[in-house]
Amino acid sequence: MVMLPRIREAQLPRDTRDTFFMLGLIAWTVAPHLARLPLGVGGLCLAVLVWRAVLAWRDAALPGRGPLLAVLLLAAGLTWREHHTLLGRDAGITLLVVLMALKTLELRARRDALVVFFLGFFLVLTQFLYSQSLLSAAAMLLSVWGWLTALTLAHMPAGRPPLREAAGTALRAALLGLPVMLALFLLFPRIPPLWSMPGDGARTGLSDHLRLGDVAELAQDDSVALRLRFEGPPLPLAQLYLRGPVLSRYDGQSWQAEPWPRRPPVPDHVTSFAPPPRAGLRYEMTLEPLRIAWLPLLDYATTPPQAEPPLTGLRPPDDDSLQWRLRSPLGERTRLTAVAAPGRPEGGVLSRWDRLQLTSLPPGLHPRTRAWARALAAQPGLLHADAQTLVQAVLRHLREDGYAYTLSPGPYEGDAIDEFWMDRKLGFCEHYASAFVVVMRSLGVPARIVTGYQGADPAPVDGYWVVRQSNAHAWAEYWQDGQGWLRADPTAAVAPDRVLRSSALRPAPGLVMGTLDSVSPGLRLQLRRWLETWDNRWNQWVLGYGRQQQFQLLRDWGWPEVDAAALARLLVLCLSGLGLAGAAWAWWDGRRQAPWPRLQRRLARRLARWGVVLAPADSPAALARRLAERHGQAVAPMVEALQALQRQRYAPGPAAATLSTWWRTFRAAERRCAPPRRP
Amino acid sequence: MASTGLWPLSALQRRWRQWWQARLQPSAHCTLRQRNLYIVPTRAGLVFGLTLLLLVASINFQLNLGYALTFLLAGSAIVSMHMTHATLRGLALHLGPLSPVFAGQPVSLEVRMDNPGRTRHGLALAVQEDEGEPQPVWFDAGAQAQTSVTLHWMAPGRGHWPAPLLRIETRFPFGLFRAWSLWRPDAQAWVYPAPEHPAPPLPPAAVQAGSPGTPALGPTDEHDGIRPWRRGDPLNRVVWKKVARTGELVSREAAGTARPPLLWLDWQQAGPGDAERRLSRLCAWVLAAQARQQPHGLRLPGREWPWNDSPTHRDTLLQALARW
Repeated sequence: MVMLPRIREAQLPRDTRDTFFMLGLIAWTVAPHLARLPLGVGGLCLAVLVWRAVLAWRDAALPGRGPLLAVLLLAAGLTWREHHTLLGRDAGITLLVVLMALKTLELRARRDALVVFFLGFFLVLTQFLYSQSLLSAAAMLLSVWGWLTALTLAHMPAGRPPLREAAGTALRAALLGLPVMLALFLLFPRIPPLWSMPGDGARTGLSDHLRLGDVAELAQDDSVALRLRFEGPPLPLAQLYLRGPVLSRYDGQSWQAEPWPRRPPVPDHVTSFAPPPRAGLRYEMTLEPLRIAWLPLLDYATTPPQAEPPLTGLRPPDDDSLQWRLRSPLGERTRLTAVAAPGRPEGGVLSRWDRLQLTSLPPGLHPRTRAWARALAAQPGLLHADAQTLVQAVLRHLREDGYAYTLSPGPYEGDAIDEFWMDRKLGFCEHYASAFVVVMRSLGVPARIVTGYQGADPAPVDGYWVVRQSNAHAWAEYWQDGQGWLRADPTAAVAPDRVLRSSALRPAPGLVMGTLDSVSPGLRLQLRRWLETWDNRWNQWVLGYGRQQQFQLLRDWGWPEVDAAALARLLVLCLSGLGLAGAAWAWWDGRRQAPWPRLQRRLARRLARWGVVLAPADSPAALARRLAERHGQAVAPMVEALQALQRQRYAPGPAAATLSTWWRTFRAAERRCAPPRRP
Repeated sequence: MASTGLWPLSALQRRWRQWWQARLQPSAHCTLRQRNLYIVPTRAGLVFGLTLLLLVASINFQLNLGYALTFLLAGSAIVSMHMTHATLRGLALHLGPLSPVFAGQPVSLEVRMDNPGRTRHGLALAVQEDEGEPQPVWFDAGAQAQTSVTLHWMAPGRGHWPAPLLRIETRFPFGLFRAWSLWRPDAQAWVYPAPEHPAPPLPPAAVQAGSPGTPALGPTDEHDGIRPWRRGDPLNRVVWKKVARTGELVSREAAGTARPPLLWLDWQQAGPGDAERRLSRLCAWVLAAQARQQPHGLRLPGREWPWNDSPTHRDTLLQALARW
């Protein structure tokens, strides 16, 4: 099985082999994109690649412009149908992939090949827009190596060079270029984004509104949302609530956050340099890019976090909601340290207006739930109860009345809240939270929904607690006069597991994972843990490498002034050093002599001591003769050595020894001879 | 290419190139070193500057891996510059002897290259023409070996031409840089006039005894090359027919003294037409006479080359025709 393709490869004509190599490379580079492409476009691209492979195999002519144009139009149409635009990121990448596939169909001259290479490098980059994980980095590194190999191959026009040789040359270039790359990577000043990109929906995460069914998507998403490291003892998972958007406006369909805070943003220097308060739970957090303009911080955050790079446009909580807003969504991975207050600050007084807002429900909706609430309030023990007592009663109802936690409750039709609360009683956090708030408001208790993350993976990785998108959660807050806002998690009443061990219900494992589990139950977890350890290190060291780390590096190296200009100066210094090293190598390499002339030069110097002058055209045999004539038997070992050299150099067949080996034997022979008589 | 002539810069460019190439002194060998090796980015190399776009994208999306990719490519590109230069550096060129050709035939230039280092790929050798793109020969030079490449060069016409300017070039490994060197080999190529084809028959041989400047062909009589038999003449030299007819023993002239009549190939006899036509005809005649082993001399206005027996006689005459 291994030999077969090898024989085949050796038999293929060069052009066919090179084309196959490039097609394979394109497929490898495009593969990660295929999952994201519209199905039709993906299939089209694969079909084009296969078509090209068949043409190469048969050594047939390439198609004319007509079919190419047709395929291009078809692809553009499919893209349009999917994205309703041909611009923008996803549509652009779709077209890039299509162009790449089509270009192979008119790959004739070397110039065309170069176009494909550039497309290839751009595709590699676009891959990073979606994933910068260790795995995709490794895959793309392989891709880059492949492209450099193909580039090298295109510049070896003579003969049929083996792929291995081209790959070796490409690897050598890349490895020798490593110092330049490292210097640039470490020292190239990191610049904030030049222009902000419109928010795109590719990233998953919390959103600033809640509509039944939204969080379910997130629950399936195992990607990492953030990582937490506590200074000191970690918080129990059941209390690990990361507070995101607070949704208090309800229009009957969805829950919205308050439109926009009224307070001015926190100045940058406060978020970056202000010393945090000593009290409270200090923690470090690495946030993946978020779709929302909220900072999910541990409940309860009262002081601005310190961030690298400084967060721009961070708005402090403008009211009692304690939510930290940003002017725009967090576009980059951010590391910050923050302090969580041990308890909620004492609540003040809810204004009449706020009370009205927070107990309002759209008229006419959820009649049965509201009737149920009225009936509850009319119960003897609850007639004039305070908010806390009412909450306890509702939670007890949730616990005892057959509610069940499931991630796939099925679609709710009609009045979703009524149907959920009264009839089906199946749902997950967003159902529980929204129905709970509806009930509380029906009872006249100000209530709102808080979304964010709850819990983390059961064990820390490298000291970091991993919070995933599947940890996204929604809970409720209600107003208790005299105490302020209090948290109530109705989901916990139904599925304590969800909160205590923060294990969300998971869909059944697939076939492969199921098999893995049956073989060794812990293996999958261990494997994932191990991968995530590395992923975390990757995140901290490579992906998280930013301006602060650069400055820290400079400080560690003892650079006097640390700023962007210093970075640039050091970079220029490093690059000039590397340039000088390159020039020195070129100088040395240019003076290098071939082994044979070098040996002749050495031999001339040695033999001059024995009174034999070496002319450039003298063969070793001639030298041996002249040496023997002059000194006779006294120099027999040297004569023998010279004759051996003659055989080594001029006899047919491969040389028995290298010239340097011979030189050593010759020197040994010379030492055995009597020292030359001085004339 | 034709339109470039209209472009004012291209004239300048040509002037610059001509001046620069004229500075190149002919040399017997050429070893490629820093002094005679040039390197510039190719058009693809300039387009490679578009990787700057990758950098902009990396900045904008804050992609650290994007930075890494961009810088990896930049590093590789810089290294490829060194590699491209090193592909030619140290190579020693020699030109094999040039065999003469007739006008219209390409001169074969056998260039031998000594490679002191490791294998060099993607080398292109071409004759540097003033106009148009040369057709290079692509080859690889094996490690520590001599490689021989034959180029074909069309000389501009008959004559004694200095070997053309040779250009060796490489874009290996990535095609981002082009390193090249020019070498003017210290050698000349003879291009004889193209022989007329079909050529008219050789003019009748005429022995022009006593004409001035003509060396005597030895002791000859009217019956060209026949003299009375002398003691010592071998029997196979005896002209038995004549003996039978006249009864007196005669024998042919011995080798070197007796030969077919001398044939003068004369410019005047080469028919009407311009000089080139005449030279072509004379060339064809020289070849025909040579093939027939007919002694022949060449007479051009103002100069003549009498018959001599040396093996280089033909080339002497053809060179005279080429140079006239």
